[in-house]
Amino acid sequence: MTIKLNVIDLPKDDYTGGKSTLCPGCGHDQISNVIINAAWDNGLHPEKLAKMSGIGCSSKTPAYFLGKSHGFNTVHGRMPAVTTGAAMGNRGLTFLAVSGDGDSASIGIGQFIHAVRRNLDMVYVLENNGVYGLTKGQYSATAVKGSKKKKGPTNEHQPIDLCKLAINLGCTFVARSFSGSKKQLTALMKAAMSHKGFALIDIISPCVTFNNNDESLRSYTYVKDNDVELHAYDYIPTQTPIESAAAPEGEFHDITLFDGSTLRLETIGSDHDPSDAMAALSALHKAEAEDKHVTGLLYFDPTKATAVEDQCLVETPLSEVDDNTMRPSAASLETLNTRFRGKA
Amino acid sequence: MERIVNDFQLNIATANGTGSQSANLILLHTMFNMGVPVSGKNLFPSNISGLPTWYILRVSDNGYQAPGDRTHIQIIMNKATWDDDIANCLPGTLILFNTDVKMPVEREDCIVIGVPMTKMARGLNPKLGKMISNMVYVGLLAEILGLDDAALDAALAQQFKGKVRAIELNLEAVDLGRNFIKENADISTIPFRIEPRDVDENLFLVEGNEAVALGSHYGGVGLLSWYPITPSSSLAEGIIAYIPELRTDENGDHYCAVIQAEDELAAVGMVVGAGWSGIRAMTATSGPGISLMSEFIGLAYFAEIPGVIWDVNRTGPSTGLPTRTQQGDLTMLYEASHGDTTHPVLIPGNMQECFEYGWKAFDVAERLQTVVFGFSDLDLGMNRWACKGFEYPETPMDRGKVLRTQAELDAIENYGRYRDVDGDGIPYRTLPGSGLDPILYRGTGHDEDGVYSEKPEVYQALMMRLKRKMDNARTWLPQPVLREEVEKEVGIIYYGSMENSIQEIDDILEDEIGRKVSQCRVRSLPLSPVVEQFIQDHETVIVLEINRDGQLYGILRRELPHELIPKMHSAAYSDGMPPRARHYSELIKNVLKEVSE
Repeated sequence: MTIKLNVIDLPKDDYTGGKSTLCPGCGHDQISNVIINAAWDNGLHPEKLAKMSGIGCSSKTPAYFLGKSHGFNTVHGRMPAVTTGAAMGNRGLTFLAVSGDGDSASIGIGQFIHAVRRNLDMVYVLENNGVYGLTKGQYSATAVKGSKKKKGPTNEHQPIDLCKLAINLGCTFVARSFSGSKKQLTALMKAAMSHKGFALIDIISPCVTFNNNDESLRSYTYVKDNDVELHAYDYIPTQTPIESAAAPEGEFHDITLFDGSTLRLETIGSDHDPSDAMAALSALHKAEAEDKHVTGLLYFDPTKATAVEDQCLVETPLSEVDDNTMRPSAASLETLNTRFRGKA
Repeated sequence: MERIVNDFQLNIATANGTGSQSANLILLHTMFNMGVPVSGKNLFPSNISGLPTWYILRVSDNGYQAPGDRTHIQIIMNKATWDDDIANCLPGTLILFNTDVKMPVEREDCIVIGVPMTKMARGLNPKLGKMISNMVYVGLLAEILGLDDAALDAALAQQFKGKVRAIELNLEAVDLGRNFIKENADISTIPFRIEPRDVDENLFLVEGNEAVALGSHYGGVGLLSWYPITPSSSLAEGIIAYIPELRTDENGDHYCAVIQAEDELAAVGMVVGAGWSGIRAMTATSGPGISLMSEFIGLAYFAEIPGVIWDVNRTGPSTGLPTRTQQGDLTMLYEASHGDTTHPVLIPGNMQECFEYGWKAFDVAERLQTVVFGFSDLDLGMNRWACKGFEYPETPMDRGKVLRTQAELDAIENYGRYRDVDGDGIPYRTLPGSGLDPILYRGTGHDEDGVYSEKPEVYQALMMRLKRKMDNARTWLPQPVLREEVEKEVGIIYYGSMENSIQEIDDILEDEIGRKVSQCRVRSLPLSPVVEQFIQDHETVIVLEINRDGQLYGILRRELPHELIPKMHSAAYSDGMPPRARHYSELIKNVLKEVSE
């Protein structure tokens, strides 16, 4: 039996990780599989990937994929800062980050906001289930008002919608998806990996243990039945000529991504223009009012400079610049001493 | 009348934001340019404009740099502190005051000269009258004290960076002051004079924060992430200011990234991320920032990631006295974060060391794969001190045990990210992007291969290795500076900016109790064995520090053998002001009195 290789001649095994310790049926494990498939399909170099996470169930998952990539399971809510520092140190790395709703919408909301504001070049996978899992099922700040988890009272608080927040902050790639929509999620994940800038994928990923009951608005059944898809998606990789991709029957339009690949948006129902921030916010508000979940590429802006580009750094990653270049010369110090002595 | 030459103190009372700092620095630099040992202390409020500020100039042929026992010349410009400033004058003080403030000065026992400084300055330039009225007192003092014109010209040129119009205008204000004294005062009744001394051509004045900033560049800093906080902001801004000159290639691209972070948590998080990626990264902050950074500091300690944090100590706790000085953060730096942690702390005591530890902190951090603190304070960081010149690092960068190629990795038998293969407590590491033996770094318990573990024996062995790693550093971190007397009766242990008061303390003790004392200036934590030997060798040891609780004394008590503890005594004092020799010499005398009883 021949082993199937990807475009850089690597088997999928080179993209897998350790055995998951999450609850059987957890949405997060489905997302890990999507990450493995997308990274393999896109032909990303595992050694050039860096897996980043904070603290929580979701943040444990980098141990379960991309075992040949360095990773950093940091502290609660502070993964964006660590990623920012690492991006400055090595601009040749591709950052794939996983966070949860506790990690991003509560303790780490400040860092989330500022990473978006700086347009840090990273894929930010938000595994969003509305509850804290590792501490046994408290509501998180993204829990929907009127939703009820398995134990305890109904949630009476207004949720924080990180997609809305990101759009308002000028985030350059904002998508919402569902862990149960493998096809949609895979296309969006590949597109996010091909994007330059901050790519947020807020994925509703039901917690099978604490928040998958009938009264929950984040249960598998509820999300599946109330998913309003913006488009159907097809990701066309760089190496596939766009003309050779099978055209869908209905209306569609293409978005060209940074690495030359294409995300094809096929119209279903009323069309959504992802360059229109107001339309994106409107879709989110409408869905929320109707207790629905809108999924798909909400907003996309390929024009902004990234955090690293803003720095005017040398092209070579700083981590690879030799020590004698990083340390200014002895002559430069003599010049300074002379100037301080008022003799320059 | 007997002249008092090069041995007096000026106190200049102004309001914040009136431009007095320029005038005061011109006075400082003029005297310095004349070869006169002089130091300046800016006592400023936490305020943009309006609140009182004082500048203390100490002129001392003995080289004393801390504020002395009394003020000899008092300049009074500020209505808000008028009465107090006058009341604080001892008999014989020369009082120069601005009559345009229209407040009385009734001191028969002082030499009092009233000058319409604002009116005179407005005559020169109606718009800038308030600003240049400060230059009038520079002129008054120049005439009274006998300041040299060429030295004053050079100081003006430096302060106004050669801007001709500004220099001319300010020089005219100085001349107004000089002429006023010539026409209205008899300086033969005033004892205070400045006389030139041999000028050391190598000496210059610089702030500690600028010295650290430059040192950091010569350490090859690749990322500065920071959040503004007094008194450390000028350290970060110093780094930024030198990037165009020192860290830019021929295309204008930089070798040093700078991020003004959203808070101190993010600032240190970026340092940790950058250190993990393989570059030298730092942040600069003060006590409140360190409090916020503590969680990440523990992560860096446990996951073994290099980084540098400069603490420019201000007076705590809480917001405290944000524009006053202290050595109140030492214990926090040494042990920051929860659980058992220890961090190296480098403690400069002069400008050359500020520069040296600026680059050396990175060598220590990368060699030990941990966060290293530089410990400065507001006094050292924000005041100008004499410096002999900055010395280029004598050694190449110490990048520590980083495996950069497959061959290097293969050469290590039984490699594991956290395995102590050399027996020195320091493991090898590989960098992200290298593809060499990647692991998922974590703040959770981990075994020698970096894999999650909660096993008791694995955790305990890891913690003991980390302790061994730090203990081994005691002999190669910056060692104490000793000055020992033959008799070895009394030994003084001190650190940091206390260096600038120690000579005067020593002279007071010799004068008043007829005893010379040995000195040991600690320059790093964890403590060198030399400190223990110093204590062994002396009959009585007193630890001087600028805090309430005797923080270094506490560390010594915990770490040294029990039999040494009875001979150690704490002389700790803090009121926000720079350390005055009189306070500490009294504390020392009290200790010696108690011991002898």
